[in-house]
Amino acid sequence: MPTMIPETHSLVLTTDYRVPDPTRVWPLLQRRRDGLAALGAHHVFVYTSTTDPERVLVTIALETREPVAQLLRSRAFIEWFDAVGVEHLPAVFAGELIERFDFVGDPAAAPPGVVVVGIMVVDDAAAFRVDVSETRDLFLKAGIRRVRIFEAFDDPHEVMFVHELSDEDSAARWLRRPDVAAEWFSDAGVGAYPPLFVGRFAHMMRIGDADRVGS
Amino acid sequence: MYVCLCLGVTSDTVTRAVAAGASTSKQVADVCGAGSQCGRCRRTVRAIISSVAQRDTPP
Repeated sequence: MPTMIPETHSLVLTTDYRVPDPTRVWPLLQRRRDGLAALGAHHVFVYTSTTDPERVLVTIALETREPVAQLLRSRAFIEWFDAVGVEHLPAVFAGELIERFDFVGDPAAAPPGVVVVGIMVVDDAAAFRVDVSETRDLFLKAGIRRVRIFEAFDDPHEVMFVHELSDEDSAARWLRRPDVAAEWFSDAGVGAYPPLFVGRFAHMMRIGDADRVGS
Repeated sequence: MYVCLCLGVTSDTVTRAVAAGASTSKQVADVCGAGSQCGRCRRTVRAIISSVAQRDTPP
């Protein structure tokens, strides 16, 4: 019998938490570059909240052969939370990108805006994708620059969304819209789901193949 | 979402445990293991217990 070699899969891990000193987060991540590479990470994104000075959101994009649960069990995660001073561990979203819309001509050229990030429950992720696609005009008219939707690995009804707007005023108007809030924001802060995160992109680390040799 | 990183227990699993009658973090740990190891996810477990209780309370 040939040995089964698990295929690599792409995923993102997102955690959202409060720390006494958010300025420590980025240097600590940089110092753990090798550990992140060993996990299979190829990008790390850090966002800082514009509404809560102690809140940060970190997304790690990985390519790995490890099952998600095995990955999360890694000492690297626990040590990371210890290092930044997180006592109560937040729930971790693990999933994959299923939809992306860019409403700006050259996404790389546009300056970073304000992101609204949340987790929501949908009846049917496939139908939800179609619905979102058909309401692109809603986003465009509201000043949304980018939309990213991720489906959770552990629950087909759970998605994480990222809405990027140009500035805080646009984000505030978007958050106040009752039709949008009812559809997108009603699960925020319920149970394991964190409250909506509103913040700005702060840092990005790219980890190349050379860094990940042997991972 | 993954609630208990030690055992890889998800929010869906914890919610099911609560819906089946677990009403304390210890009972949840007994049913599905979440919070039974390092215990640092118990705050999230309690938030799930609270949300299920609110959901099941008539308006």
